[in-house]
Amino acid sequence: MKLSSINYLVGKGISSVWKNKMMSFASFCIMLVSLLMVGLSVLASININKIISGIEGKNEVIVIVKDGTSDEAITALESSIKEIKNVDTVSFYSREEAWKSMIDDMSKEEKELFQYAEGDNPLPDTYKVSVKNIEKMADTTNRMSTLEGVESVKASNEFADVLISVRNIFSVIALAVIAALIIVCLVIISNTTRTSVFARRKEINIMKYVGATNKFIKIPFQIEGTIVGLIAAVAAFVLTMFVYRGAANLIQDNYQILTILGVDSLYSFRDIIIPVGIAYLIAGAVIGAIGTTISTSKYVKV
Amino acid sequence: MVEFNDVSVTYSSGVDALNHVTLKINDGDFAFVVGSSGAGKSTLIKLILKEIDATEGTVTVNGFNLKKLKRRKIPNLRRTLGIVFQDFRLIPTMTVYENVAFVLRVIDAPKKYIKSRVPYVISLVGLAHKAKAYPEELSGGEQQRVALARALVNDPQLIIADEPTGNIDPALSYEIVELLKGINECGTTILMVTHEHDIVRHFGGRIININAGSIAFDETIGGANEAQ
Repeated sequence: MKLSSINYLVGKGISSVWKNKMMSFASFCIMLVSLLMVGLSVLASININKIISGIEGKNEVIVIVKDGTSDEAITALESSIKEIKNVDTVSFYSREEAWKSMIDDMSKEEKELFQYAEGDNPLPDTYKVSVKNIEKMADTTNRMSTLEGVESVKASNEFADVLISVRNIFSVIALAVIAALIIVCLVIISNTTRTSVFARRKEINIMKYVGATNKFIKIPFQIEGTIVGLIAAVAAFVLTMFVYRGAANLIQDNYQILTILGVDSLYSFRDIIIPVGIAYLIAGAVIGAIGTTISTSKYVKV
Repeated sequence: MVEFNDVSVTYSSGVDALNHVTLKINDGDFAFVVGSSGAGKSTLIKLILKEIDATEGTVTVNGFNLKKLKRRKIPNLRRTLGIVFQDFRLIPTMTVYENVAFVLRVIDAPKKYIKSRVPYVISLVGLAHKAKAYPEELSGGEQQRVALARALVNDPQLIIADEPTGNIDPALSYEIVELLKGINECGTTILMVTHEHDIVRHFGGRIININAGSIAFDETIGGANEAQ
């Protein structure tokens, strides 16, 4: 196809948006609602995932160092722990710090009772280890327990298992809901564009009689669909920004549980503005193009 | 050239639309196809356009064997044809100029050629002053002349006119056929389907009468206008 033909078809697609403004507006509204439903579902899903990941991150493993281990051996142990692939962070908690922390948490009477017992500190040196992938928790703790200088490893594998189940179930539900929404949106959009294409079926028929190829007929419709999709994407993005910010503030103000759990706040919109914007634009353009392709196919066959 | 060789068409409803039709329309011919409603005239046109396939026999149009022609190659066949319909079938959102130019855009013609060819063809049908008008702003006769310009712009080997005078005033009907005659004199084959016997008698020429799916009559007669 020549450049002049491409220019012509693109121009035709753009002008059709305006010429068929009522139909374009109907498609725009449907696409906007569809994009919002899918977009907000995805955002809710990634935030819930973040919360679960945050809780997972708090599920630390305590590595208890054997009593009497030398300072060099303790340092070497830290390196050995860090060498395990699934280990994320390692922090040393000396027996002195543990003692001090314990005393600090005591009541005045208890403090008086224990202040002279420091020389007999029974607490061990420990490492607090966080893991990257909670699903490999058991394997990681097993490997740590075999390291030189390790007395024992304490981890709540049951809690990890619960978290894994919660996350897996949530992921399946989220995926199913999003996939269903996408299918529903595509069906609605292709039906809306079909109405638009049906209104112009005579035009398509004439094009076929004068020897237009299917591609030549479809391209302006696809461009029209893509443009409407892009406009809907921009509108959906702006609406999402307001809805998301409002919802995030509401949740963080009213649900102190997130703070209690020590979980970082939800994604701030500023952090995800670029991927959300790009995702909306791509989704709008693709859904618009696919919707019109599905609906024009029927009328292109003469 | 159009050649039907023992062609039959039976629709899925069981109706036999054409029965063993053998017909040849040579390059440069002007032929009227006449017949009552349901005789098989439309089926004949649909076969030439490859809208439908023959149940039996072979159809050849401008060198294309339609039995072997693949679906994606149909546009190539249609680009050798010009088609004029009873209901004009102009694109309402396009001006006269755009409606005519559209055919050339479809075949990827150079911009310069489009710019020179389209005004020329529009002036041939006498509508140079209406080039920027939309179809709804034109009379029936004018719309049919635009359709004629559209059929002509691609310099087709064959123009099929399906009841081109059916929706216009009788006086303008003669004008349209005169235009078609003029185009034919320049070498383009014309196949005109009509049920208006007055027009056929007036212009004369080759008459193909279809009756109940068969060719009942295929002769050349002298026209009343020649006798005058």
